[in-house]
Amino acid sequence: MINSVPSRRRFLAGTGAVGAAALMSGCVTSGPSTKTSSGGGPVTLQSNLSSPQAKKAMQDLVAGFNKRGGAKATLNTVASETFRTQLPTYLTSSQPPDLLTWYPGSVADSYAKKGLLLDVSDIWTKPELSGYSEALKKLCTSSDGKKVFVPATYYWWGCFYRKSNFAKWGVQEPTTWDEFLDLCDKLKKKGVAPIGIGAGGNTAWVASSWFDYLNIRINGAQYHRDLLAGKHRFDDPEVHKVFDRWAEALPYFDPNGTALAFQDATTSLLQGRTGMMLIGTFFADSAPKDMLDDIDFFRFPVIDPKVPLAEEGPTDGYFASAHTGRKDEVKELMTYMATVEAQEIYLKGSSGTALPTNPEAKDTGTPLVKKGRALIEGAADVTQFFNRDSSDALQPSADTALTRFLAKPKEINSILTTWQRDAQKIWGQ
Amino acid sequence: MAVLTAARRRRRGATRVPPVVLAFVLVPLLAEAFWVFWPAVQGFYLSLTDWDGVSAPKFVGVGNYHEMFGDSVFRTALLDTVLWLLLFGGLSALLGLGAALLLQQERRGVGFYRAALFLPVVFSLTATALVWQAMYQPDGLINNTLDFFGLGSLRHAWLADQDTALYAVIVPALWRQIGYVMVLYLAGLKGIDPVLYEAAKVDGATRWQQFRHITIPQLRGVNAVVLSVIVIDSLRSFDVVWALTRGGPYHSSELLSTYMYSTAFQSLRLGYGSALAVVIFVLAFGVIVSYLVRAFREAD
Repeated sequence: MINSVPSRRRFLAGTGAVGAAALMSGCVTSGPSTKTSSGGGPVTLQSNLSSPQAKKAMQDLVAGFNKRGGAKATLNTVASETFRTQLPTYLTSSQPPDLLTWYPGSVADSYAKKGLLLDVSDIWTKPELSGYSEALKKLCTSSDGKKVFVPATYYWWGCFYRKSNFAKWGVQEPTTWDEFLDLCDKLKKKGVAPIGIGAGGNTAWVASSWFDYLNIRINGAQYHRDLLAGKHRFDDPEVHKVFDRWAEALPYFDPNGTALAFQDATTSLLQGRTGMMLIGTFFADSAPKDMLDDIDFFRFPVIDPKVPLAEEGPTDGYFASAHTGRKDEVKELMTYMATVEAQEIYLKGSSGTALPTNPEAKDTGTPLVKKGRALIEGAADVTQFFNRDSSDALQPSADTALTRFLAKPKEINSILTTWQRDAQKIWGQ
Repeated sequence: MAVLTAARRRRRGATRVPPVVLAFVLVPLLAEAFWVFWPAVQGFYLSLTDWDGVSAPKFVGVGNYHEMFGDSVFRTALLDTVLWLLLFGGLSALLGLGAALLLQQERRGVGFYRAALFLPVVFSLTATALVWQAMYQPDGLINNTLDFFGLGSLRHAWLADQDTALYAVIVPALWRQIGYVMVLYLAGLKGIDPVLYEAAKVDGATRWQQFRHITIPQLRGVNAVVLSVIVIDSLRSFDVVWALTRGGPYHSSELLSTYMYSTAFQSLRLGYGSALAVVIFVLAFGVIVSYLVRAFREAD
């Protein structure tokens, strides 16, 4: 047993060290640091995939990488919302996580423009990634032409329902907006809340899917992207048209829609208290696996036949910090994530409703997944999602505007004026 | 002469501070300066900038403070914070004092009630909020209880309705705070000399007169502590609101603290968020200092 005798000198040295550490931690405004994390040791992978199934799949993935020899990796899972708010801090830190899960497109580009992402153009020439589609290559390229992202999976959004419930209620999938409203009417007469949403709790962002889909069906995908990039205004007549249509469907929304998080809304859907729900396939991660066979979906209805049919097909994957001290090892891990083996491990461990980005990798092959793949492959254009096509910073303004619309649709004029004013503050930065 | 020198030496010896004592004062001061004062100064500097957390901050002078005047959400958050201070602060003081008066006498089983009232203080506010969130759900305990008593018409989406969200959030915060305030008042009540009550009884004072003329004046010292605690807790109330409503729906339960957090870390406007933090600091500091100055003046 070692007895350490506290001495005055040791005490002063200790407090001095603590003070120095505090001084260093206080340097918050010094901007992006050029320091890099030290080399050696395993690559740290910071993941936001925190639902139990997805987390387990990520653990399998890292275990698969570590088993094959070469560089090693460790996984650090952070709750999704914490991850999102801390992401700028992770990337600007002098000791950042080496590799992070996140999104390509405009979100990744905004960090790349600030020099925070590692240029991984060289791994895109390797055989593991050379077969990836042109659309994915473009999506993973920053505005200065560098590849900064490696995609792993993508998924689709659709109007999900239970086949057995639709059969019980004697209703069919609609294709047009009028058929959709007709279906809602029938369900309401049967005492079911036709449309579940799950924009309460901590998942108000789910309401953005309705805005996205109505906008791409009425004004088209390009207008939608331009609007989110600040090239149009949220109080334009085109945006008003979106809410005019939404108001037609509003009486059919579950009155508890803004009181429940999407996980609870999923339960309502599975228990037949709501008829259908516009959601991404990630909701399946919080659904019992034995119910997945009974789940089906239909494409968001056509509103204007002249507008090409775009779909929301968000891509997930990885980007690395420019400050990493383990560039080679990080690239080795990123290359592994793009392989057939890695993507199949992930799909096997998770709910299996996502699609691999590697064209050689097999999806789970269920009828639901086949239908989802056909939906995205047949789409005239693919959008990502509100925050992915705009920025994480703009999402709260949408959450406020859309939940207010759901509760007070008549106040749409002031809602859109406020939304535009809030968005301008973000764009103006 | 010898006596004089000795006296001078003694006096010099008395005023000389040993280096260890000096170190025990200066080193923590240094640590405090780096840990508290320096970040606070940086926070103030940030409030004069436009900063997205990634790029270098852009100096905008008092621009952020100027923006606050025209910001309707800031006004809502300020009003909600005042309402929170009055309702949460006022009720927790009143109910805490009431509970302390009720449970001050040593009776059989009183310890159980004290512990039961103090128990919520032990739980983290986030855990408390999650329990209450389940109770406030559309099909949760509260709505089901209303149904059971035939009051189904009062069913509500308590946290999703802008008319009820703020009050629904105050309840769990109060539930937790009352036990804490009760303990402070219990300590105060124990410190009152029983002789005063005995003398009052001999003089024929009623219970109300004893409370009015002995208990209240004797608790003056505790009141200052309770008020400081309440003001600070009100202005820094964040976790329970964030866990339950995030300041929503559409800012109806927004407090200055939640608005500061969402502005800074969600909308990534760290300059404006820092300006809000400065306002919160000034308010807390202002209220407490003005009260303490008044309290000390009365004491003199």
